[in-house]
Amino acid sequence: MSEAKTNETVHLTIDGREVDAPKGAMILDVARGMGIDVPSLCAHPGLEPFGACRLCVVEIQKPGWDDWYKQLVTSCLYPVEEGLKVWTDSDEVRQNRSVVLDLQMARVPESDYIRELGRQYGVEKTSYAERDTKDTCIMCTICVRACEAIGRSAIATLSRGPDKYVDVPNKDACIGCLVCASLCPTDAIPFTANDNGKRRIWDKEFDLVTDERTGEVLGTPEYLAHVQKRAEGNGLVWPETLKQESAKVKRYEYARKLSRVADVEDRLADEAK
Amino acid sequence: MSKRLYVTPYRCIDCKVCEQACSLANTPVPGVPARPRVQSFKVDDQNNFVLLCLQCDEPSCQAVCPVGALERNPETGAIEVNDKCIGCGFCVRACPFGCMDYDDTHNEYIKCDVCKGDPACAKYCPTGALVWSDKPWTDQEAEEYAKKKSSDPFTIALEMTKK
Amino acid sequence: MISGNGKPFGSPQALLERAEAIRTERKAIKQEIRVCAGPGCIARGAKDIHKQFQSEIKSHAKELKAAGLELDATLSEKCTGCHGMCEAGPVVTLEPEGTFYTGVKPRDAKKIVEKTLLHDQLVDPLLYELGHQRGGGKAERYTDIPFYSLQVRVALRNVGVVDPTNFDDFLAEGGFKAFAKAVSEMTPEAVIDQVEESGLRGRGGAGFSTGRKWRGALRVKKDRVWLICNGDEGDPGAFMDRAIMEGDPYSVLEGMMIAAYALGATDAYIYVRHEYPLAVEHLQLAIDKLHTAGLLGDNILGTGMTLNIRISRGGGAFVCGESSALMRSLEGKVGEPRAKYVRSVEKGLHDEPTVLNNVETFTCVPAIIDKGAGWFASMGRDKSKGTKAFSLVGKVKHTGLIEVPMGRTLREIIYDIGGGIIDDRPFKAVQTGGPSGGCLPADKLDLPVDFDTLSRAGAMMGSGGMIVMDDHTCMVDVAKYFINFLIGESCGKCVPCREGLRQVYDLLDKITKGEGEDGDIEKIEKLCHTMEVASLCALGKSAPYPVTSTLKYFRDEYEEHIQNKVCRAGVCPSLIMYEINEDCTGCDICARHCPTEAITGIKKKMYTIDPEKCISCGICKSVCKFDAVDIKSGDKIVSRDAVA
Repeated sequence: MSEAKTNETVHLTIDGREVDAPKGAMILDVARGMGIDVPSLCAHPGLEPFGACRLCVVEIQKPGWDDWYKQLVTSCLYPVEEGLKVWTDSDEVRQNRSVVLDLQMARVPESDYIRELGRQYGVEKTSYAERDTKDTCIMCTICVRACEAIGRSAIATLSRGPDKYVDVPNKDACIGCLVCASLCPTDAIPFTANDNGKRRIWDKEFDLVTDERTGEVLGTPEYLAHVQKRAEGNGLVWPETLKQESAKVKRYEYARKLSRVADVEDRLADEAK
Repeated sequence: MSKRLYVTPYRCIDCKVCEQACSLANTPVPGVPARPRVQSFKVDDQNNFVLLCLQCDEPSCQAVCPVGALERNPETGAIEVNDKCIGCGFCVRACPFGCMDYDDTHNEYIKCDVCKGDPACAKYCPTGALVWSDKPWTDQEAEEYAKKKSSDPFTIALEMTKK
Repeated sequence: MISGNGKPFGSPQALLERAEAIRTERKAIKQEIRVCAGPGCIARGAKDIHKQFQSEIKSHAKELKAAGLELDATLSEKCTGCHGMCEAGPVVTLEPEGTFYTGVKPRDAKKIVEKTLLHDQLVDPLLYELGHQRGGGKAERYTDIPFYSLQVRVALRNVGVVDPTNFDDFLAEGGFKAFAKAVSEMTPEAVIDQVEESGLRGRGGAGFSTGRKWRGALRVKKDRVWLICNGDEGDPGAFMDRAIMEGDPYSVLEGMMIAAYALGATDAYIYVRHEYPLAVEHLQLAIDKLHTAGLLGDNILGTGMTLNIRISRGGGAFVCGESSALMRSLEGKVGEPRAKYVRSVEKGLHDEPTVLNNVETFTCVPAIIDKGAGWFASMGRDKSKGTKAFSLVGKVKHTGLIEVPMGRTLREIIYDIGGGIIDDRPFKAVQTGGPSGGCLPADKLDLPVDFDTLSRAGAMMGSGGMIVMDDHTCMVDVAKYFINFLIGESCGKCVPCREGLRQVYDLLDKITKGEGEDGDIEKIEKLCHTMEVASLCALGKSAPYPVTSTLKYFRDEYEEHIQNKVCRAGVCPSLIMYEINEDCTGCDICARHCPTEAITGIKKKMYTIDPEKCISCGICKSVCKFDAVDIKSGDKIVSRDAVA
């Protein structure tokens, strides 16, 4: 959710390549837009930049600085500036990324994802004391921010320092949408999507609503109610929006209305099989 | 006037070429077809129908999206899903026409984006039922086009894979 | 007590006239008794002393009247803010003579009234013992004590002078003179010019030019500017802001009001630490009083200016003293810092321009406006102007609250003002700048204390905490202590701080346990480097300083722990052994106190400690009356006098 874009652009250099970028854009987005691979664990384009994982650090030099002087900044939070020089893969950058990954590997020794990322930065095994845990949460808080974005704020970070963890202090607000679990880069949130018509996540069990005709799972009643409320809040009140039907059924229904599709019922029956 | 996708249902022969073309053109993993964004129906012995996103003036999908992942491309006029998507699926529920969908093969939310201005469905449609043009075609134009275009699925498939 | 007529002041002139009237009325007061009600003195019974004085004055009313001392008319007795010399509390001063009584107990009130007030005699046992300073003897006045005579009080000007709950007291001391001057004679630009010219830099730690910050906010054209006063003082051993908020709340508010006038701010917050209920109480009283006096709210002093100041209480998180975390906390969100690439004067609270300054900074502002930028800039050195308050704690004789011009050396502060090290032990290090500050060794004692010199030496000014350590302090243990503090206070948002602190602590713990290995120091250094450059906020970036600065100046001590398994200060339990020497009289007291029955012996003969059973708790040493218990580390005796 970046700033309202203006037409103003700034000119900068990233890894020796010159680029014009819209004012207000972050270095990370601009670099990635140029096809430069900048690693990151906590950035998600749809969510407020957070700056917690420290993997996207890059070195910068502003015009007018002494030649030898560079500064390490978080590229997901640093807006581009006129005349800025950026290095995304210098020795200093790589060294700090490797320490950060080393620390993460000690935090989540069971995470394959982090281990693979560590390998890319030359860390085969952590040099620090491993936590004795199967937990793979790296505290990127993408889940927490996503939950807030969809308007529920059921989950949050609790405690602080090394003991900080993600939990569900607002259990009633959880609608079982599974967005948190699906966005988690290290699959740290356990859930069961559909176990005999039941869904489980965050120690909460949900019923599931299915499309009458196709049997497709539409979501939990809490989820559907939330979307409905949201749609109504946005002035969307047509009945099709709120009907508990799958996309497929909605399409057939619409086509039938427009041209009296003959074989709708048969085809839906086929699909259901 | 800028180009649009014009649908003329009575020219549709329900050959499914549009679906096939869409599926191959939009897959993020070459060789693994994606769920098509367009669908053709058989109405009765004489009539067929093609349905794809209407690119509404006031799109419901965009209205319910919590992160601004649905934006109109000013060049094509189409609503596109961008990388901001967090996968909440609100848009699927909100679209009254079922044109917002979830592709469970590739785990992404999909809709017709007119292939960023070069729709594959229209490109391969053998009859001119789907046309990417600045105005609807006359029947004559469509006939002339159809004569040149092969409707043989095998030929079309070859043509598609050439790209 | 003299009170106002309760109506709001309609103009700056009316306010100044009222202040003058109070001063005229007060000329009749011949004697003033000031009881220190700072936290230290309250803990030792200052409130009881105050009550006792009140009742003594009542019961001696006749005699006092005969002596020309009538309570409220010619004699005033009040509780004030912290007098500074906490170590000698409870403290009572008598004005105008400046008589200074220390260690006062409630029962001494009678003596003071009868002897000093009625008969002009000093109560000798309560006078301050100068010891080796100034030729020894007793100090009759506080101005005779180096602790006071070497100080210059600007931010603390009214602390210990005024009754913090009494608005008239503050007015009489020249309060709101600066505000009246600003709104009636100066343009907002002129106010900012003065603040900038004075060279005032933020007293909260970073030392950013206050004037430049204000100008920056003014340049961002937005409808609203938020003003925040940071009173979330969380450094262990630091209590400057607390003393100011508790002892002189009106000066903080006046500073904020001047800033609000300069910036056009209409809404302000004071964010006060949860642990400071008295500060909240006094500030709230002051704010309420200012509303009724027409100095807050709408149309302030008839000038049309609007300002509302609200108090927000922190939840006790150290990190919320960091400005961006503080703002998140004010917004009702989790108190986590964010990157400051976009400065808060552009996007701060609610993403609107925000000026945040520390309590001490705001308190300096009225003095600058009143006495002029040149006066303030004439104090201090180089790019650090004016004075700075410090809380002097640790193994120093006179612990307490002090304020000195910038540029005084550490030696002057510790030895002249602080009176040197307790028991005249050798000085080992001074830790400045709070938990994430650095430790400076003896050869840095002559460094002038200012922002830039300290940071060049690897320490920092921080908010002004100063912890003095003697030779019985293990520097590895000190580093471990501060890292442990920071673990508890890290917000846990970013990886280098959250995970790095844990790992640094593990490594330090290993070293203090005698399990350190070659390469551990290098590992710590690498980790500290990443924490320093790659952490998100200033707290994380400075979190490794306790380690890097001790490594810089006391590396040999780390190496000794690792290579020789020796703790020369005799602190690390795993590296020391207790042994009984020939001074032992066989009194059996150690054996009776030993929790593991490790001490055996025959009465009246020398006892022995079984090293197998000894857990190095140090109780034997602390109970021994004959100094017969030694601490050994390696093969050397590193005895300490007492176990902390």
